[in-house]
Amino acid sequence: MTNRVLPVVHNDRESEARTPSQPLLILPSEARDAFDPMPVLPPVSPREADLTRIAPGRPRASGDAIVVTGRILDEDRRPVRRSVLEIWNANTRGRYSHIRDLANPAPLDPNFYGFGRATTDDDGVYRIRTIKPGPYIARTDIGWWRPPHVHFSLLGGGVRLVTQMYFPNEPLNEKDYIHMTVPADERSRTIASAVQPDVFQFDLVVRGRFQNFV
Amino acid sequence: MTIFTPEATLGPFYPGVFALEQMPHDLSRVTPILAHRPQGRPIRVSGRFLDALGMPVPSLIVEFWQANAHGRYRHPLDQSGRPLDPQFDGFARVRTDDDGAYTFATIMPGARGARAPHLRLTIFASGIDRLVTQIFFDEEPLNETDPVLCAVKDPDVRRRLVAKKTGDAEFTLDIVMRGHNETPFFDDWAR
Repeated sequence: MTNRVLPVVHNDRESEARTPSQPLLILPSEARDAFDPMPVLPPVSPREADLTRIAPGRPRASGDAIVVTGRILDEDRRPVRRSVLEIWNANTRGRYSHIRDLANPAPLDPNFYGFGRATTDDDGVYRIRTIKPGPYIARTDIGWWRPPHVHFSLLGGGVRLVTQMYFPNEPLNEKDYIHMTVPADERSRTIASAVQPDVFQFDLVVRGRFQNFV
Repeated sequence: MTIFTPEATLGPFYPGVFALEQMPHDLSRVTPILAHRPQGRPIRVSGRFLDALGMPVPSLIVEFWQANAHGRYRHPLDQSGRPLDPQFDGFARVRTDDDGAYTFATIMPGARGARAPHLRLTIFASGIDRLVTQIFFDEEPLNETDPVLCAVKDPDVRRRLVAKKTGDAEFTLDIVMRGHNETPFFDDWAR
């Protein structure tokens, strides 16, 4: 068993300053008890899965409304049920609603906050409505643009995963330092497929339940 | 080749509402208005997350998971027969402030066999993928033989996982993500 060294994202100052330099330590077998976190999950209202309106009856946010849907499976292809998915993405102009995105000159959309949640069903299926995010510039000094992407955080059902979903046929995908840090033969796993012009399928395969041991 | 979805960084714009309002963050009580309290000794563990330049890491999300006062995890695979505590689930999510500071308000986890009392941390922030480590407590006799602490060979490095006692119920530990005094992190992928 080799000790993994986590990759640093090129040109990402936060990655350069925060990624551990030392190889990860292997836990001794006596400590591998598989008691990974089993949080009591928060209640999620179905309307939280629609990011395209900030409240029922309000105007739809600007940009292209899309559906992002898929199945969450473990390594044995069993559905991950009742897992809470948190997602967040920039608006159609590439601006986040987050208070820290102040330097971004792109406008806020008063009808778009850009975050929501969903719970996977008995088949491990989730479905979210959002606005297709625009690209945005991450570093003006080197002209690094982030391609359109949706952030995913998955918690519960024995899994914990944070990742980013990219869109197909976006030229910026192959110039993105974060996306390029993913090994080439795994990169396609982070790109959704367009099953209809406005419906994107993004399936996730997570490490099986109780497989982690820290 | 792995079949798994690759991990990625949380990025700088994780919605604070997820961290602050929707998940438990103080395990030392149920809610302020309830007389019910978890069993065990309330403690507070605090410190800062620092980067390679010694700068604080704000808006970092840290989740911790722990056994109850009896050393029992609320987990279906924990068949130890130790008692569950109805008022203690053992999971919390905390976000660091602008100074990179965190506080874990909880109860002292029980020891369990050879394992010294400890908290299990999962860490997310802009610039990093998921990191995991464990925090131990000063003056716990089992620290000497705990298999995770003993897996860190250098005693100077080992101390970076042990929170210092600064009061009756107060502990402190800074977590250095990279560079001088770097905290040891663990791989929870390996089998």
